[in-house]
Amino acid sequence: MATFYDQVKEMGIKQAALAKADEVVERITAGMNIGDIRAALRGDEPRRPNPRLRPHADSFWLHIRPSFYHTEVTHIYPTFRLGWLSTFMFVWETITGIILMVFYTPSPLVAYSNMWNILSNVPLGQLIRNMHRIGAEAMVLVVAMHMLRTFITGSYKKPRQFTWATGMILLVLTLMLSFSGYLLPWDQLAYWALTVFISGAEAAPAPAVVNQNILLILQGAPSLGADGLLRWYLLHVLLLPLLLAIFFFVHYYKVVLYGISLPPGREEIGEDTAKRVPKDERTYFIPDILTNELMWSGLATLFLVAGAMWLWDAPLETHADPIVTPLHVVAPWYLSWSQGWLKLADKTLVVGFIPALLVAFIVMPYFEVGKSRRYADRRVGLSVSFLFMAFMLVSNWMGTPEYRVASSPDREVGIKVLPEEGPSLMYALPYDQVLKGRFLPGQEIRGNEAMTAALASLKKAVLAHSCVLDRSVGNPNIPTIKASEWTQCRVRELQSGDKVYDAGFTRDVMPNPYVELQIEEIQPRLLRLTLVFQVKEPDNPEEYRINTTWTAFRHADSNYEDECRFINKSSKCR
Amino acid sequence: MQVKIVIGTISFMLTMMILGFVALQEPARLERFTAARQGRQIEQGAHLYDSQCATCHGVNGDATECYDAATGERIGCQGLPLNYKPMLCGDRTARMVALGWDGTKHGFVAATIAVGRFGTAMPAWAQEYGGPLRPDEVEDLVQFVLNWETEELCAQPDFVFEWPATIEELLVAFPEGDAARGEGLYTTYGCSGCHGNLTDPASAAVGPWQGNLPEVAATRVEGLSAAQYVYESILYPNNYVVADCPNGPCTVPSSMPNNFPLRMGDSPERPQDLIDIMTYLGVLPLP
Ligand code: HEC
Ligand code: HEC
Ligand code: HEM
Repeated sequence: MATFYDQVKEMGIKQAALAKADEVVERITAGMNIGDIRAALRGDEPRRPNPRLRPHADSFWLHIRPSFYHTEVTHIYPTFRLGWLSTFMFVWETITGIILMVFYTPSPLVAYSNMWNILSNVPLGQLIRNMHRIGAEAMVLVVAMHMLRTFITGSYKKPRQFTWATGMILLVLTLMLSFSGYLLPWDQLAYWALTVFISGAEAAPAPAVVNQNILLILQGAPSLGADGLLRWYLLHVLLLPLLLAIFFFVHYYKVVLYGISLPPGREEIGEDTAKRVPKDERTYFIPDILTNELMWSGLATLFLVAGAMWLWDAPLETHADPIVTPLHVVAPWYLSWSQGWLKLADKTLVVGFIPALLVAFIVMPYFEVGKSRRYADRRVGLSVSFLFMAFMLVSNWMGTPEYRVASSPDREVGIKVLPEEGPSLMYALPYDQVLKGRFLPGQEIRGNEAMTAALASLKKAVLAHSCVLDRSVGNPNIPTIKASEWTQCRVRELQSGDKVYDAGFTRDVMPNPYVELQIEEIQPRLLRLTLVFQVKEPDNPEEYRINTTWTAFRHADSNYEDECRFINKSSKCR
Repeated sequence: MQVKIVIGTISFMLTMMILGFVALQEPARLERFTAARQGRQIEQGAHLYDSQCATCHGVNGDATECYDAATGERIGCQGLPLNYKPMLCGDRTARMVALGWDGTKHGFVAATIAVGRFGTAMPAWAQEYGGPLRPDEVEDLVQFVLNWETEELCAQPDFVFEWPATIEELLVAFPEGDAARGEGLYTTYGCSGCHGNLTDPASAAVGPWQGNLPEVAATRVEGLSAAQYVYESILYPNNYVVADCPNGPCTVPSSMPNNFPLRMGDSPERPQDLIDIMTYLGVLPLP
């Protein structure tokens, strides 16, 4: 080939530069020159031989993508783009995760302050962290929905059983990735969620030696510490992503091999025509699918960036403390069902059931061999799946502390109004509007809406965990709440002779309580907030059933206001 | 396809606009979060102070109001005031000068909390040195302690009481002692914790029983009156160390706190406490 210099001599500098540019573009795209790209974007027919097929043959990135799809599977239905979105989320998490890695050291000594450094010292640090967090939760959701759709359209059936099986492994890896990342901030939330969760290993239906050693391996020590953190970190940033990438390629290879299944109604029962695509039903990857995917990338990025900015704020509680167990240990929402199951059944049963269920899911396509993918022929299967989903939703709800709390009523009020962790209305009030003094629930402070709202929230919490002995009189201890707002006590006598007072559906509440909120400034810009609970024994007014205090501190700069902006936290600030 | 290109381009541009918007607000946000970090450390420090430190340094940090952690009973404060000008004010505080600490104020407080003070009741708190607290907790406490500093506190006039050499000189400037008040102070300064009460010799746990102090004090050091001996023994325990303590020979240096000159001399009126205690012990008024 002539050198560039020869070409300049031959065609002049302008023509030669254009030819050179064309050549460079053709090399980068592995087959398409500038003219071909413009033609593709304009929607023209390709020239012959079709240059848009060459990138699939010659380039690395496109060689695993099919050069055309059946037009039927390129609409929103049947894939809903969920498999693609799962892939996108994985790439997204990898990129944001690598940025976070730069600022993170997996050691209990510094991990937590690293998180604060990301928030308070790294430009765009909070955004990146939230992008990674919302991405992780979205990925779980997207992968689960992708699974649901492949189930509903019957795409797991022959010949795609193995695609489904690798998909199940991808689901487990996704959950484990999300969950292993949960520990890394090394705050109370992370520490206790993980501790409680992996303690499940102890209850597995295996000999105690085996269980204890598994737990020891998972924790790195008799309790989570430096070794445990390092292990979960390595799982999170190395082993699990690697496995996920490997299984993704197996999964996707199978998808390409068999083609994406057509909508069930489109083919004869028992046939699989996904790979036999008539000429007029082809949609080429270049340019149509590619453009489509770029558009979805743009939309998904927009959603995730905006979400990280306004919707979803990653929590950061106080430093992990192996000695102090929080009042309520909550699992992340995508694992809450397992906590729900623990309230329903014996721990060993639950811990044994989960892997059994997984195996059942993996092998399901090899046993469920009904020929037809059509909805009308799969009424039983679809009904069972919907029942299962309903069960999972209920289990998830049962996993939250709202369902059957075990703690005492005064502590439940305390944790609602002055939580040990995270934002609340009290912590987010404008500091200069907080008054010092002693206040009753429901008290109105004229001209101070913030305080009035805070005391109204205290009243709500008190009412939810109290009852009155005589509703026509009300509770003389708290005159700021009207008689009609209280719930009448229902008295149960225990075998021991002690009495328990219930209200409505809530068990064990405070009969005729006295509750006050004390606010004092103990240091410049630092408040001590104390809730005082005094509940007399109704049968013996000399004695206290409950005589406790609940204390919290609030600094003027603690900045819970910023957290209350996000919808995942705003409900706590009301 | 054109529509898709447009939608994709618009999303990309919107994303860039959001990023630009975030970037513009970033300096202010970083500042808010830096303050928030410190605010939350102070909140955590306040929790820790209440549970670990208030029994010795007082609920308000001025070493006046202390409660036993287990029983809730009012007891004497063993620690020094922390909410206190010589501890907090200036880059090189009076306490740093007194103890010859050349580092920073932050370092002074952090080191004191982490390793404690040898030979005093102040224990080591950091896990590294055998205490119960993690490094982050020590730091939370430092932030909390330093947060007591206010302009108002630091504007107070400097005050360090110059203890005269003899008890006679001290008595010139103060009214007669009050034994009843002295009895209370004997508890709140923590004397009774070591020396027991004045009626039962068996009540003394660490230091010698003092029910017979007027007699023994007169004979301890030749040439010293009982009052002068007790005066020096309280202010400077190491000047004369007794031989026998309730639990064996007394240790040298004395295990009696040596910070009473500071605690009984932090205001012009405070030395009256010493006179009242000595009156209660029966070595004042002078014969
Ligand atoms: C058992 C009693 C005791 C407890 C508990 C205690 N301290 Fe102390 N602390 C002392 C004593 C006594 C001193 C004075 C030592 C001296 O004389 O140099 C002191 C001194 C200090 C000083 C230096 C004051 C100065 O002016 O030199 C600081 C700071 C301090 N303590 C902080 C704390 C903190 C924070 C805690 C809680 C984690 C705590 N202390 C708990 C007894 C205690
Ligand atoms: C930590 C325990 C402790 C505390 C607190 C304490 N002392 Fe002592 N005290 C001792 C010990 C031990 C001795 C004996 C060693 C010595 O002479 O220094 C002693 C010695 C004395 C002596 C000399 C006694 C004699 O028999 O010669 C006097 C007087 C005295 N203390 C007064 C007080 C007073 C007053 C207070 C409170 C303001 C006080 N002590 C607080 C431990 C303590
Ligand atoms: C990280 C997780 C996953 C990724 C990245 C992923 C990716 C993909 C992609 C890109 C496709 C192409 C078709 C489409 O977009 O729907 C696909 C198809 C498929 N996936 Fe997944 N997947 C994941 C998890 C799962 C799970 C959890 C299951 C079910 C247990 C599953 C089962 C299937 C099946 C059966 C197909 C074939 C669908 C058909 O041919 O119509 N995948 N997957």
